[in-house]
Amino acid sequence: MAAPDSFLSGGLLLRRSEWALLAAIVIAIVLTALVDANHSYWFQPLASLRDIARSTALLGIFALGAAVVIIAGGIDLSAGSMIALSATVCAATMLALAPAEMVGFKPVGGAVVAAGCLASLLAGFLVGTLHAWLITAVRLPPFIATLATLVGLRSLARALATSTTAALLPTKNSQINVYDPAFKFVRDNVWIPVAVFGLLAFITWLLLTRTVLGRHLQSLGGNEQAARLAGIRTDNVKWFAYCYAAMTAALAGLFYVANESVAAPAIQARGHELNAIAAAVVGGCSLTGGVGTVPGTVLGTVFLRVVIDAVSKVIKTEAEIYEGLIVGVVVVLAVTFSQVGQLAKGGRRLFPGTLGICVVPVLALLVGSVVAMTTGPRAGIAAGLAALGLLAAVRLWEGRQAAAARPA
Amino acid sequence: MTAARQTAHRAIAMRSITKRFPGVVALDGVSLEVRAGELHAICGENGAGKSTLMKILSGVYQPDAGALEIHGQPARFTGTRAAERAGVAIIHQELNLVEDLSVAANVFLGRERRTPLGLVDDRAMEVETSRLLQMLECRVAPRTRAGSLRVGDQQLVEIAKALSLDASILVMDEPTSALTEAESVRLERTIHRLRDRGTTILYISHKMDEVFRLADRITVLRDGRHVRTVDRAATTPQEITGWMVGREIACHAFHEPRPRGAKLLEIKALTLPWPEHPRGYRLADVSLDLHAGEIVGVAGLMGAGRTELLETIFGVSPPTWAGTIRLAGQPVRFIHPREACDAGIAMVTEDRKRLGLFPDLDVAGNVSLCSLREALQGGLLSRGREESLVAGPLRDTGVKTPGPHASIMGLSGGNQQKCIIGRWLLTQPRILLLDDPTRGIDVGAKAELYQLIDRLCRQGLGVLLTSSELPELLTLADRILVLAEGRLTAEFARAEATEHRILEAATGS
Ligand SMILES: Nc1ncnc2c1ncn2[C@@H]1O[C@H](COP(=O)(O)OP(=O)(O)OP(=O)(O)O)[C@@H](O)[C@H]1O
Ligand SMILES: [Mg+2]
Repeated sequence: MAAPDSFLSGGLLLRRSEWALLAAIVIAIVLTALVDANHSYWFQPLASLRDIARSTALLGIFALGAAVVIIAGGIDLSAGSMIALSATVCAATMLALAPAEMVGFKPVGGAVVAAGCLASLLAGFLVGTLHAWLITAVRLPPFIATLATLVGLRSLARALATSTTAALLPTKNSQINVYDPAFKFVRDNVWIPVAVFGLLAFITWLLLTRTVLGRHLQSLGGNEQAARLAGIRTDNVKWFAYCYAAMTAALAGLFYVANESVAAPAIQARGHELNAIAAAVVGGCSLTGGVGTVPGTVLGTVFLRVVIDAVSKVIKTEAEIYEGLIVGVVVVLAVTFSQVGQLAKGGRRLFPGTLGICVVPVLALLVGSVVAMTTGPRAGIAAGLAALGLLAAVRLWEGRQAAAARPA
Repeated sequence: MTAARQTAHRAIAMRSITKRFPGVVALDGVSLEVRAGELHAICGENGAGKSTLMKILSGVYQPDAGALEIHGQPARFTGTRAAERAGVAIIHQELNLVEDLSVAANVFLGRERRTPLGLVDDRAMEVETSRLLQMLECRVAPRTRAGSLRVGDQQLVEIAKALSLDASILVMDEPTSALTEAESVRLERTIHRLRDRGTTILYISHKMDEVFRLADRITVLRDGRHVRTVDRAATTPQEITGWMVGREIACHAFHEPRPRGAKLLEIKALTLPWPEHPRGYRLADVSLDLHAGEIVGVAGLMGAGRTELLETIFGVSPPTWAGTIRLAGQPVRFIHPREACDAGIAMVTEDRKRLGLFPDLDVAGNVSLCSLREALQGGLLSRGREESLVAGPLRDTGVKTPGPHASIMGLSGGNQQKCIIGRWLLTQPRILLLDDPTRGIDVGAKAELYQLIDRLCRQGLGVLLTSSELPELLTLADRILVLAEGRLTAEFARAEATEHRILEAATGS
């Protein structure tokens, strides 16, 4: 019989879709190495690795939190704002405890740094608790509750930055600079965030596969009513899940401060919550809850970062404009790909009826315009026409198949 | 309309249908012919392949091999809509209602009536729905939210949905498993009316008396194979069960009295308010005792408050009730099922899909869920321990599964039910609340389950049991309480109880 494709089978073995994801990562790297005109993967392998490792670790840390909430059947939209808040809380705490050193670019001392970090993690715990209360006691849908904090927390962070600087510095400022050597050390040593990410991934994996709480998280996501009737304290389990998400985001916030040497709540990590959710979904988490693994989420994060990096290597100028587009395309392709087997077997169609006919030019237009903007108008038109022809052929073929399957 | 089709001699012909799932051959070359206008019953153990065969007939699954003919025309259905167009409708074993929509919207889901302006015509759908429900003699209002109904009523809505298609072939997969005697009788009347109109009906049930009252012919399946098809008049229930199981089933009587132990549970003047309802209460002034080693049955029609009684004891809803509940002498007021579990109570819920199953956990995960602490090794879950933990209950309840790794959703309905019972037995409760526990379980397995319950009771377990089947209460229970409209109307010792007297007390006549 086939290997059990089960969450519980645990072990270090990957599921089939995860092997596919691993293969996709390797393919993406090889393609980039070949296509990139500067061949930076050949000539500066270490620098490239460092870049990807840093961005992966930073995203991965809170993607794990997002995955835990998603597996428990919820959603946390507030991670990006939580990161900004965590960064600001850390910087503001240090500013309050050692204003002279912070202004004078001098070391603030280990105790102050520790106090700043602890304050951030505490802020994460408090936000998680707030989420749990809004969801379980006020009975807001998770989407609404965390949408409110997505907007609210960033605003709160900005207010915090402005009011602390106004109170403690000669001029008020919307951001707080952090020059402490401890943070510089973290920035210059990529292995630190990578090690933290690795450790956190291991802990989360252990949590989900080998603890009672993990099993309860998964049953909560699978069938909440049945979980309660099985004697599981679902409210407490949710409390844990939302705290885990908020605290991993808070932890990521500390690395953002280290990386950018500043707590800038207006722009820091804006929109990154969606990248985290995307990484979890690409890794196989289902937004309906109950399904998802840590290896999948880790691979999903790596894949997302590798593809973003690949595009920036290939496009070169203003590559960050395309980041959102890439994330969108990767999510759609990954989830579609995971259904290929079903599509082939179940007689389901990718381009059914009139909707199928209308979507073919839409997709072709999208492909054509992106290629036109990145490469040039000629290539754009060619790519658009090629896509149109290909998709139209698929649509026709599917239509034939469906007609043949129907009895006369 | 449908009567015109009666001229076709053979409504359905299925030839060597084979269907495989990962690890199991659900159907192995099954051939079946159904005459137009007959009621054809299909019998078989849990997992025999009855539902799978019906899902192939109604376009849910495509067969791996074999051919299908409807009214003499070869048919290959790509989906349920295609089957509906060919006049085949199915009432599934599991409920498939959209909980947030009204009853009427559910009945016409995907086939909504329109006004001349193209808007949804709620009025017309509600009128039509109440006509269908009236035909089933069901008192649910078409505007009620489907999710607020109990299983029995939901089942009736599903039946109304299938009737609204006006199909010439109607498949009923255990339609009465959630219905009590009185509702089943009403359904039977509807079935007779459909047959008079010439509808061909395929009927699956584990209730032999029902099959023998209704069927013209009976087909028996075993392990995915066709065993035989016979005229009802030419056979007996014993013969049918023999073919189903492939051996004689020991029919134990449990009349050997069980020793009665200490008082486990005492309920005095329990009243559960129901503010939004004209009656004002779900339960009124209910008192009962349960002793160790005793099985107390609770009979009643749908809506009589059987489930509510068990749920109140188990702490499912906020404790708005008045009265006293004492556990081993101590007054208790549970506000969460966890507290009830900790006090040694277990409850098997009536609606397994909605309130019992975890679709993303495998068989072992579903069974071990409430006893995970025993699968710990050094603080972490050990898969090995978990599997040996669940081996016991899987064997005791006789679950037919490819293994503990199998997906729970791949098990047949009856086997899923056995897994849930196994889950609770594993917690070694002192009091077991069983809400219609043998729903969808086949005759053989039922007998085994009865023996298991009897054995556990002899070891000091107390069982409070509701059932939609009176014979079950009559075989198992030492005493039978009857609820009608939330009030206790009668209590019978086993010797005095008869179906007739119970029904009389339940209908309050
Ligand atoms: N979707 C599925 N995936 C995997 N296995 C399945 C699936 N559906 C059915 N099976 C398997 O096919 C066999 C037949 O199942 P089926 O549901 O047809 O049984 P049944 O006769 O209806 O039983 P019951 O009386 O319990 O409803 C069982 O062994 C079951 O485990
Ligand atoms: Mg079935």
